[in-house]
Amino acid sequence: MNRGLMLILIAFANSLRGIRNAATTSSMAILTIAIVLVLAGAASLLVENMAGVLEEFGAELRLTAYLDDTVPPEDQRHLAQTVAAAPGVDRVVFISKEEALRRFERIAGGDELLAGLDENPLPASLEIHLRPEARTAEGIAILDASLDGLPGIDELAHGQEWIEGYARAVALARTAAGTITIVLGLAALLIVANTIRLALYARRDELEILALVGASRTFVRVPFMLEGTIQGLLGGLIALLVVFGAFELVLPQVRTALELVVGRADLRFFSTAESIRLVLSGAGLGLLGSITALVGGRTA
Amino acid sequence: MYHVSKSYMAGQYALHDVSLDVSRGEFLFLTGASGAGKTTLLELIFAAEVPSEGQILVLGRNVARLGAGAIPALRRRVGVVFQDFKLLQERTVEENVRLALDVVGTPRREARSRVFAMLKSVGLQHRRFHHPLSLSGGEQQRVALARALVNEPEILLADEPTGNLDPELTIEIMDLIVKASTRGTTVMVATHDHSLIERYGKRVLRLDAGRIAEDVPSAVPSTGAVS
Repeated sequence: MNRGLMLILIAFANSLRGIRNAATTSSMAILTIAIVLVLAGAASLLVENMAGVLEEFGAELRLTAYLDDTVPPEDQRHLAQTVAAAPGVDRVVFISKEEALRRFERIAGGDELLAGLDENPLPASLEIHLRPEARTAEGIAILDASLDGLPGIDELAHGQEWIEGYARAVALARTAAGTITIVLGLAALLIVANTIRLALYARRDELEILALVGASRTFVRVPFMLEGTIQGLLGGLIALLVVFGAFELVLPQVRTALELVVGRADLRFFSTAESIRLVLSGAGLGLLGSITALVGGRTA
Repeated sequence: MYHVSKSYMAGQYALHDVSLDVSRGEFLFLTGASGAGKTTLLELIFAAEVPSEGQILVLGRNVARLGAGAIPALRRRVGVVFQDFKLLQERTVEENVRLALDVVGTPRREARSRVFAMLKSVGLQHRRFHHPLSLSGGEQQRVALARALVNEPEILLADEPTGNLDPELTIEIMDLIVKASTRGTTVMVATHDHSLIERYGKRVLRLDAGRIAEDVPSAVPSTGAVS
């Protein structure tokens, strides 16, 4: 075994010894990182699922142009061709008065509601599907302007206001989650840094002796950096397990409530890459915390 | 050591204008009252302190100008023993001695065999899995000595190594230190135990208030001396 590899093994052994000797403070650091990452992970999961819903709405976004009853059927079809040529339009589906009635009866579960009426009160309409690049507030505004005043169109309806409100809610949730993550991450960083500082203080005799026998700064510092990294890694793993457990166990109980908030029930958990990122962010926090402690501490 | 002074406060010198030449393999006692500057002189040699004035050449390196990154390399060539042993209580005797080999990444098998041989030479091989607290003062100092020597240093510095030991153990430890010097290691021992100085008849440097008050040459030829 060469000396470089031996030094790495010794650094690992020393860091594990450090964690074992300061089990209480190490556990506190691991727990702090775990709590921070549970909160950050849960918030991120919620935001990502909300964003997913927004994307789905965006994909299904379409405008409905209700047509004037006085427009003859042949002109209505001509109007459909004119709208199809408008900017941002992908395709246009013509819904006749009869088709509209059939759809209404399907949704209402029968024709009792309209039974007393002499004639079909529902207007013919054009379902306008947008191209992906036009599914924005600006795209809809441009289309809106180009269709405005077009003879035969009675009313142009779309769910843009609702979608914009939902998008604002997602953005707000994302900002809140980001802020919470940063603030809690900073707190975790300080706690890990203090844990390592305590370890430096508790092991000052060892550090003095290591310096006497010719230990380099790297030899002294690396075990502390590994200690922070290992603590962070364990914290990250615990957080992942807790978030996963909560997702699997608690979600069915609150599915209905979440449907109201998030808009759908088929929520997804982190992908493998995202799970690894969560655990590694714990390791990063731990490493950064120990570096913070070492920069301020006396190690050799 | 050329015109070396060390001052911790303006105008007050722990060492003042000390010039000293110690040959390779020489054995030297440093003596003097408490506060005479013995410990400071040793600390300057292993770069625990930086001189305020003057130059110190140790193993061909000017310690006064040594960068922080070069100090560990120097200390691997200088073994140090203290009155309070400086052993890690939570580690075994073997682990304590092995520290000096771990810092240079000595492979575990080689380290174990060298530690065993070293402990055998100080008569503690059977205690290698014990912790320092279960050992007597003399045994603990032998462990510290084994740690200082396991890397085969060219210089051994001992600061009151027998200060905490009874007369019988004192001789035991000093005999081991003298034995190290016979293998060519330069040895400097700070002590104010005059019986030791008389017993071994080596060169004696007496310090008084930070200055060299007396430099008495060895009464016996130094085995590994190089002039």
